[in-house]
Amino acid sequence: MLRATNLNAYYGEFHVLENVSIEVLKGQVVVMLGPNGHGKSTLLKAICGLAEKVEGKIIYNEKEITVQPAEKLVNQGITYISENRELFPQMTVMENLKLGAYSKNARPHERKNLKKVFRLFPRLKERKRQLASTLSGGEARMLALARGLMSNANFLCVDEPCLGLQPNLRMEVLRIIKEINQQGITILLVEQNIPKITELADQLYVLEEGQVTFQGNKDQALGNTQLKDIFLGM
Amino acid sequence: MYLELIDVLISGLTNGSVYALMAAGLTLVYGVSKAFNFAYGSFFSLGGYIAWMLMAVFGTAKGYFFVFILSVPLLLLIGYGVERIIVSPLRKRQDWEVKVMMVTLGLALLLDNSFQVVFGARMKSLPPIMEGALTINDVIVSYQDMAIFILSIASILCFRWMLNNTRLGMAARAVAQNPAGAQIVGIPQNIIFASTFAVSTAMVGVGGILLSQKYFISPADGWDILVKAWVITAFGGMGSIRGSLYAAFILGMLEACVGWLFGMSWILVANFAVLVTTLAIRPQGLFGKWG
Repeated sequence: MLRATNLNAYYGEFHVLENVSIEVLKGQVVVMLGPNGHGKSTLLKAICGLAEKVEGKIIYNEKEITVQPAEKLVNQGITYISENRELFPQMTVMENLKLGAYSKNARPHERKNLKKVFRLFPRLKERKRQLASTLSGGEARMLALARGLMSNANFLCVDEPCLGLQPNLRMEVLRIIKEINQQGITILLVEQNIPKITELADQLYVLEEGQVTFQGNKDQALGNTQLKDIFLGM
Repeated sequence: MYLELIDVLISGLTNGSVYALMAAGLTLVYGVSKAFNFAYGSFFSLGGYIAWMLMAVFGTAKGYFFVFILSVPLLLLIGYGVERIIVSPLRKRQDWEVKVMMVTLGLALLLDNSFQVVFGARMKSLPPIMEGALTINDVIVSYQDMAIFILSIASILCFRWMLNNTRLGMAARAVAQNPAGAQIVGIPQNIIFASTFAVSTAMVGVGGILLSQKYFISPADGWDILVKAWVITAFGGMGSIRGSLYAAFILGMLEACVGWLFGMSWILVANFAVLVTTLAIRPQGLFGKWG
């Protein structure tokens, strides 16, 4: 579904990604692990057209999509969900969701997606008239995910959805991500080190200092002792 | 004394409503794109001159009908074009905010001097939008003042409705509240920047049409308006549209009172006094937030 080859990304003079190649097949959950500040978020942003300077080649559904602005990619079904949530604080939950369906591709499906989102996140339905700035951390995280789903995406790039959440909420978020995936949406997920993350993953990558240092499926990851110690926390 | 005071209040209310319309436009552009438009006042004069030309073409009888029908789309178009051609290319550069100020300052000088070349330095006047006056006991309210007040309040309400209910308005608020979030959901920022610039140009242009019939149109009129809109924006809180509405009425009233008590030449002094006081006591303005 999506194949990135030899991606290089820069922040000013700083070389963040060095020849990163990854592949995500349709219907998979691919998990990207790695320490903080080693380029995981940049990789997602590069794919979603949000990074500053990107070189390389990204193929999505047999089409080259490198160096396109985010608004075009959202319209083709690629949506980024930020680790910082990036909600619109002075708007209601409902308005945030509606803006999630801003792209041309999402507009006709707005009502259907709204129903779907409220089924996944009943809490948001209760709070639909509340300003986003009044939500708790967990609810805001849910809203960020929900707003992403409103774009009618079939490829979601989810950036550290568990950041700053309590352990029980983390499990809840991962369960919802699994459910989203089961509805046919392909997911590229970035996380730092969470136990149980492997259960979710069809494929794992480890990104260190801007380079892919491990690539494999669940069993290979669990078999790799170094990986188990450092990233999976087992 | 009592009747005079009512006159002052009516004048303050009328001017305040137009100031509110114009300040809301300036705040919109500042809030969404963080660009400061120095040519804002010149678009005020432009509105006046466009009205004057249309009046000359269509005659004064049905003049204002055509003036509003034709000038609003024209002003929108001019605003959109100006943003795309001279502001937008700067946005990718370093220190673009300062560069936008310089470029729009240049545009203001160009426009003002063009007005002088094309229309001459003599003041032009527009006929009142409505003749006659309403008299209740001894209080006289001219229909012109009422029409100006109603039209500017209607424009503000229309603007508010657009901001809250249309896709463009929602997108503009989204960009103002969180540009990164707006990019993520796929809002094309360049179009939003240009559209809000266009809307603000139409708002100040309409303000020019409304106020020019009470005063006059002359080539350098815009500077006064720019200063007022700026003071209102700072007083109300940078980027807060609600704040600018309150601030506009307060300033309109203050101007009317100062003009009545001390004479018209003190009005600008009063404006700057408000600005200095605001910056000294509450730099974020009435409804502004830090950061």
